[in-house]
Amino acid sequence: MNLQTSEFDILQSIVIRALEDSARSLSSMTTGAIQMQNPRLSFLPLNVVPGIAGGPATVVCAVYLGIEGDLSGHLMLLFGLQSACGLVDLLMEQPVGTTADLDEIGISALAETGNVCGSGFMNAISDRTGLKVIPTTPAVVVDMAGAILESVVTELYLNGDEVLVIETGFNGEVPGHFLLMPDTDSMARLVAALEAIQ
Amino acid sequence: MIAETFPVGLGELKVGSRSGQVLVCYGLGSCVGLTLYDPVAHVGAMVHVVLPDSSLNRGQDSLPGKFADTGVKAAIDEVLRAGANRARLVARIAGGARMLNVVGAGTKLDIGARNSEAVRAQLQLHKIRLAADDTGGTYGRTLQLFIDTGRLLVSTVGRGEREL
Repeated sequence: MNLQTSEFDILQSIVIRALEDSARSLSSMTTGAIQMQNPRLSFLPLNVVPGIAGGPATVVCAVYLGIEGDLSGHLMLLFGLQSACGLVDLLMEQPVGTTADLDEIGISALAETGNVCGSGFMNAISDRTGLKVIPTTPAVVVDMAGAILESVVTELYLNGDEVLVIETGFNGEVPGHFLLMPDTDSMARLVAALEAIQ
Repeated sequence: MIAETFPVGLGELKVGSRSGQVLVCYGLGSCVGLTLYDPVAHVGAMVHVVLPDSSLNRGQDSLPGKFADTGVKAAIDEVLRAGANRARLVARIAGGARMLNVVGAGTKLDIGARNSEAVRAQLQLHKIRLAADDTGGTYGRTLQLFIDTGRLLVSTVGRGEREL
């Protein structure tokens, strides 16, 4: 995907604003306990994506949402197991360290985080571009990072060899990744919509 | 003897013919890990197959292992070149899982089943015997092929280890 510098800048600014919105919704849900860090946008070769979260064999908790509507792609929150438990504690308003295992309640709390985060992000994109973007119901998976990421990347591999990855972390207490991976056609549509509103 | 590990990334193909070599596919999800092994020559290959058919290709790169059809063929060619005997080749496959069971996301994400099917069909086409098949399910697998013995180890998260 070749983007002009100006297009990349537009994309970056809209992503930052969308993430801020999404962080605000998360933050209000957790009484201010969760903030997102400045996002990094990069185009990565698809074959390196399975290794971005600590290596392909690292066990992670992933909250996945598909993106449907005018844009299609994948949105994912990735946490190490300990961070995922810590996030559950923040959500349940109990001291971090209370949750040791992800039970059904923990999993559904994480799914809800994905919902809030994902919807906030997609609404922000919709509002600014006029494109209709709808998240699927979230799925929560605990497994090897490589296995989860490659399953998402595979579909993108049909159309290209690079993918836009937006990476951000959450505040020190629960480090994690937020990944947005639109497919190639969607990227073109997103950029066109962004240019139209400039 | 010191074991030497060779990771086989997305779409890659690696051949082992030296003592101590271990070929590894880390964290297979919807992809399929295919191994070919000659137990007499102690030569083996591992491919990390990503997609079922090279006719789907619209990307730029052309790693032979990216597709089931090109991957199986390349693995056979390479392993024979490294000294294996075609008649003794034994194939084993693992992976092809459906990691993300998402309501409303259609069937596109079940590429795992299509990958496994495609690899099996290609092996049949090239008349290579499939000795073990650990595919499907909803969980990731790490695959290790020990070149000295031909031992193939599948490890999972929370489902233990097993030999294929």
